[in-house]
Amino acid sequence: MSSQKKRTFQIEAFKHRVVVDPKYAEKTWKVLEHAIHEIYNHNASGLSFEELYRNAYNMVLHKFGEKLYSGLVTTMTSHLKEISQSIESAQGEIFLEELNRKWIDHNKALQMIRDILMYMDRTFIPSSHKTPVHELGLNLWRDVVIHSSKTQARLRDTLLELVLRERNGEVINRGLMRNIIKMLMDLGLSVYQEDFEKHFLSVSANFYCLESQKFIETCDCGDYLKKAERRLNEEIERVSHYLDPRSEIKITNVVEKEMIDSHMHTLVHMENSGLVNMLVDDKYEDLGRMYSLFRRVPTGLTVVKDVMTAFVRDTGKQLVMDPERLRDPVDFVQRLLDLKDKYDKIINMSFTNDKTFQNALNSSFEHFINLNARSPEFISLFVDDKLRRGLKGVGEEDVEIVLDKVMMLFRYLQEKDVFEKYYKQHLAKRLLSGKTISDDAERSLIVKLKTECGYQFTSKLEGMFTDMKTSYDTMQGFYASQSDVGDSPSLVVHVLTTGSWPTQPSPQCNLPSELLGVCEKFRAYYLGTHNGRRLSWQTNMGTADLKATFGKGQKHELNVSTYQMCVLMLFNNADRLTCKEIEQATGIPLLDLKRCLQSLACVKGKNVLRKEPMSKDIAEDDTFFFNDKFTSKFFKVKIGTVVAQRESEPENLETRQRVEEDRKPQIEAAIVRIMKSRRTLDHNNIVAEVTKQLQSRFLPNPVVIKKRIESLIEREFLERDRVDRKLYRYLA
Amino acid sequence: MPRPKRKAAVPTRSSDADSSARPEPKKPRGNQFNRIDQLFESYVNKTLGLIDPEGIEALCNDVNVNHTDVRMLIFAWKMKAEKQGYFSKDEWRRGLKCLGADTRPKLKKAIEGLDKELKVPECFEDFYSYAFQYCLTEEKQRSVDIETICELLNIVLKSEFPNQVNLLVEYLKVGKQLFKLIYVQNDYRALNMDQWRSFYRFFKEVDFHDLENYDSSQAWTVIIDNFVEWLKEKEKN
Repeated sequence: MSSQKKRTFQIEAFKHRVVVDPKYAEKTWKVLEHAIHEIYNHNASGLSFEELYRNAYNMVLHKFGEKLYSGLVTTMTSHLKEISQSIESAQGEIFLEELNRKWIDHNKALQMIRDILMYMDRTFIPSSHKTPVHELGLNLWRDVVIHSSKTQARLRDTLLELVLRERNGEVINRGLMRNIIKMLMDLGLSVYQEDFEKHFLSVSANFYCLESQKFIETCDCGDYLKKAERRLNEEIERVSHYLDPRSEIKITNVVEKEMIDSHMHTLVHMENSGLVNMLVDDKYEDLGRMYSLFRRVPTGLTVVKDVMTAFVRDTGKQLVMDPERLRDPVDFVQRLLDLKDKYDKIINMSFTNDKTFQNALNSSFEHFINLNARSPEFISLFVDDKLRRGLKGVGEEDVEIVLDKVMMLFRYLQEKDVFEKYYKQHLAKRLLSGKTISDDAERSLIVKLKTECGYQFTSKLEGMFTDMKTSYDTMQGFYASQSDVGDSPSLVVHVLTTGSWPTQPSPQCNLPSELLGVCEKFRAYYLGTHNGRRLSWQTNMGTADLKATFGKGQKHELNVSTYQMCVLMLFNNADRLTCKEIEQATGIPLLDLKRCLQSLACVKGKNVLRKEPMSKDIAEDDTFFFNDKFTSKFFKVKIGTVVAQRESEPENLETRQRVEEDRKPQIEAAIVRIMKSRRTLDHNNIVAEVTKQLQSRFLPNPVVIKKRIESLIEREFLERDRVDRKLYRYLA
Repeated sequence: MPRPKRKAAVPTRSSDADSSARPEPKKPRGNQFNRIDQLFESYVNKTLGLIDPEGIEALCNDVNVNHTDVRMLIFAWKMKAEKQGYFSKDEWRRGLKCLGADTRPKLKKAIEGLDKELKVPECFEDFYSYAFQYCLTEEKQRSVDIETICELLNIVLKSEFPNQVNLLVEYLKVGKQLFKLIYVQNDYRALNMDQWRSFYRFFKEVDFHDLENYDSSQAWTVIIDNFVEWLKEKEKN
């Protein structure tokens, strides 16, 4: 049996034998080639788009795409070669124009060619991975024309020369520049960068390097900055007119580096015109310019800030340590405020309120204010002056402004507890002498202090105000209860709660007999209504008004301190008294008595007593007489010494010692608080924690902290760990 | 041992109360115990029921060791004697049992060799703290005056740290006389246990020739910080 495969029935594809004209491709190509020539020769109008398109289409269809493409390349290349030569031969100025013109032509031609060959562009080219027509045209332009050995360098040099001329003040053809640059960009970013931008940047660097050197040698800082700013703006404008926008950041970096970065320190420290001079002379515009220019370079602002900080610290330090300034506390503080105002204004007007500058200013102030241990006292005296008379007649808002400024200085203080001590003393004097211009202003400041430091800081101060009010009511009650006042002197008593007022030990002095009656009556009245309390007269804090009649009958009213009153009243019964006799009769402590006598006998215009000998110092057997011949053009003469004033050295030392003593329990309380919650803690950490806890009041000395820890160990609140001596343990 | 202060009041101690509460053993516990008690009896002050300073003097004579000798202090430590100048029966028993001595010659020999007891560092530290404790005579007393401290330093530490002890004693004493010099301690008329302990640690850990490396933030006591300052000044001159 023969096995024969069954034949499957197949239908074969219809093979159409097309007889192709072997010359077909050639002929068609010739047509197209001719068209290209015509196009390049500006003769395109005579061509039929439809025909050409069809021809191109057919070639591709009949698999002659390759021929078409390579033909295109060859033709275009040869045309471009001609163009290139013509450009190369252009002389001088015409070079660029010629280049530009030919480029425009080429683009037009390319457009048309591309349209004609669109079918190839869409089918043959993608499948054979060849460069599309348009792109091909650009690449050929680039390779043949732009990168021709003669043109490449010439183009670059011409462009750069134009830029240089423009920088030197000439007007150039910006439109042409723009077109040429755009051409480079169209050819590809790398062409733009390699053929132009790279060189542009390096030449510019040189240019500005030299120019900045020249300026530095001839200009002062302000002028230099103006010039630098101008150049910077020019470059930015240049870019916007005829360069690629991405070049802006690059060229500005170059200018910044050459003109600013390289000369930063020279500029800032330039003699007679540098940063310091600008600060001193409040040159806001120059400073603003420096700020905006230096901001552009890394570390630029840091340099400015550092120089400013150092200068402020220095100025502040000089101010604070100048012995002349220390004589007048109010002036001292005013100058600090003026300094702050000055720099606030500079930072505001020239440095756009930059926070880092604000912070640097604050830290400088904090640094030098605390160099002088008397700053807290002086700030309190300043406030005292303002509240006693400086702010008289000033509107409420302005009062707030002054108080806020004071608060700002207060914040800088490290030893806030010292300020508190003085503030209390000064406030007491103001309240008791009735010399505060405005209760509202006083209270406003207390509120500010409370907000800053918590209520504990101000609770005693508020107590003082309460006492004043209560005393007023008590006096009303007292006089209401006295049926027969007679001709005893009228008494105004302020009853002070011991804890709230600054304590000053006051030995009793002997009050004049004329007063004793009414004083006793008051005491009886008060204790009658407030059982169980104790009253003691604070004779070092009172005032008195005396009516005095002098030799020729002239009458005056003398406003004096209690001590002074005791002394003067003695002269009602004696014509002459020695210092010693006065001391014995009044019981006033000698140092206070001497001061008192000085104020009564040695001050021009207030010498109601006469002293023999006439020296300024008081010796024990100096003799005092009632000064018959005393005159004053005022009826009321104020001789009191209760006004707050700057402490003498020994007083200052004493206050400081008291402050140190007060700090010890605060430190101990902090240590115990910390150890109670942490149970065990090592030495360095305790010191750090304690410092942190107390920093709103003062800066504790680490040695003092150590001593307090040892004291607590001795009293068995803490123990030292047996093994690790640095570790402490809380003993419950 | 520093001369004890004679007190009018007799200290009452719980150990005494204890011993009197404990019933006398029916049978003697052995000869050794007996002998120890007998020795106690030979020195005791009959009215107090304790060995008092006179008794101690007699003991010192018998064992031929001065009462200021460190070995007497070590003896007190072995007994864990609470009160300077007095030994209770319990303490006596404890001490002699510890020394393994029940006759006078044995006791003498034991006491003579007592300084060897301190070779072990842990023992020494315990003894060192005890020495301070022993000087606290009052109920709430926490510190010991400078004079006594200096004597104690000499007794207890001189053999091991002769140079350092001399310097420290100089510093402590000079401070008393010259208050004006800022680096000399004038804050302390008496020192507490914490400070006392810090001396020994300081001698052990810090080399006097290398004071530059001393770090005052290392939680040494303030008196040690000041002492180092003074040493540095001294070296400069």
